[in-house]
Amino acid sequence: VSSPSPTPDLELDCTGLLCPLPVYRTRQAMRRLAPGGVLRVACTDPGSLADVPAFAREQGYTLLGVTERSGVFAFDLRK
Amino acid sequence: MSHSTTTPTVAEDALTADAARRRYDDVRALIADVHNPTPLVRLNRVTPGTPAFLKLEWFNPFGSIKDRTARYLLDGMRARGELTGRELVEATSGNTGIALAALAALEGRALTVTIPSGVPAEKLVLLRMLGAQVLPTPDDLCPVDHPRDGAIALARAIADSPAHRGRYAMPNQYANPDNVRAHYETTGPEIWEQTEGRVRAFVAGFGTCGTITGVGRFLKERDATIRIVAVEPQPGHRLPGMKSFAEASPPAILDRSVIDEVIRVDDDPAYAMTRRLYREEGLIVGPSTGAIVEAIARLDTRESGPVVGISPDGGQKYASFFAAHFPEDAEATP
Repeated sequence: VSSPSPTPDLELDCTGLLCPLPVYRTRQAMRRLAPGGVLRVACTDPGSLADVPAFAREQGYTLLGVTERSGVFAFDLRK
Repeated sequence: MSHSTTTPTVAEDALTADAARRRYDDVRALIADVHNPTPLVRLNRVTPGTPAFLKLEWFNPFGSIKDRTARYLLDGMRARGELTGRELVEATSGNTGIALAALAALEGRALTVTIPSGVPAEKLVLLRMLGAQVLPTPDDLCPVDHPRDGAIALARAIADSPAHRGRYAMPNQYANPDNVRAHYETTGPEIWEQTEGRVRAFVAGFGTCGTITGVGRFLKERDATIRIVAVEPQPGHRLPGMKSFAEASPPAILDRSVIDEVIRVDDDPAYAMTRRLYREEGLIVGPSTGAIVEAIARLDTRESGPVVGISPDGGQKYASFFAAHFPEDAEATP
C-alpha cells in the first residue's frame, strides 16, 4: 500500500469481478487513454493484488500506487 | 425433446413436418442423431491400404459436430432449471459458439463467447452475425500455467463474479458430462449402426474431448478390441478446435482409459492432407479433418474392418487460414 496519486483521467469499477476480468477490463480501458494518462482501477478480488501489477509490468505501464479501503483495492496506472 | 421456450406464430398451411420428404418445422430438427445420422463417406485415395470412412459432421445444420454438443448442453441445463432467466457465457474456439449462438438466438437468449487467439476471422464474423457478444482473449491474459486457457478463465470469471450474480449460466463444455453424453448417445451409436458393427478403429482429435470420450466409451462397451485413437496437434498449432496438452490443461471430461493410442500430427502434414482431401477426395473440410486423416494414413494397421475418422467441420470458415498456409493458392487475379 502506497500513497494515493493525482486525480485519475479515467476510473474503472471492477468491484465484484473475479480475475482475470479486472485485467481484461483494464487492458481495454488503457487503450482509451492517451500516453501519460492515469487510470484508477477499483477491485475487490484479492487476486488483483498480483494480477494488476503483473499486467502493468508486462505492458510497460507505471503502477503509481495502490490504496485499500474497506476491502476495495484502488490501483493507479500511468500509461 | 424440449426445445424452444418461445412460441412463434406460424401461418396455417397444413404442411406438417415430414422427415421422409426432408421437410421440417424447425432447423433444430436437423441436428444429427441415430434417426438422422451424418453421412459416412469412404476415403478412396488418401489412405491407401487402410479401409477408412470419414463421418461428415458438417452436415449438421450449424456446420459442425458441435451442434450435437450445444443441443445436449442446453437441454441438460434447461432440465436442471439452470437456464431460466439467464444469459449464456462460454469459452469456445468457434464451432460450439456458433451452434450455441444459433440455438440461443432461436430462444431469444443472449450469448457471450470468450475466444482464444488463433481463431479465424470468419468464425468471429459468423458469431457476431448470430448476435453473440464476442470477447477475444489474449494469450497472456492470465499469468498461469497454461497460457492458452485464458478464454476459459475469462468465461468462468464472467459466470462466477459476484457483481454478475444470477445473470449468466456457463455450459462449460470442457467439464460438462452432457458433452460426452451427446457423443455416447448419438455419434457413437450412429457409427456402430452405419458400419453394421464392423468398425475396427475410431480416430478423433483432442479438443474438449467430448467426442473421443463419448464415442470411445460407447464403442469399447460394444467391443473392447476396437482401437480408439486420439490426434494431438503441436504446441502453437493452427488447428482450431484441437488442443495440445503441452500448452492447455486436459479437460475434466477426458477419460484416457478409453484411448489406446495418441498420434501427434503437426500443422504442415495436417494442412497438406487437408489439401489432398480437397483435390483427391472432393471433400471441402476444415484443417482438423486433415490432421485426423493424416493420423489414419499413419496407422500401423492390418485392420480386418474399417477405420472411422471424424470430420468435425467443413472448410468454408477457414479460407483465411488456407490462404496463409498456402499463399500460392491465394494469389489474387491481376
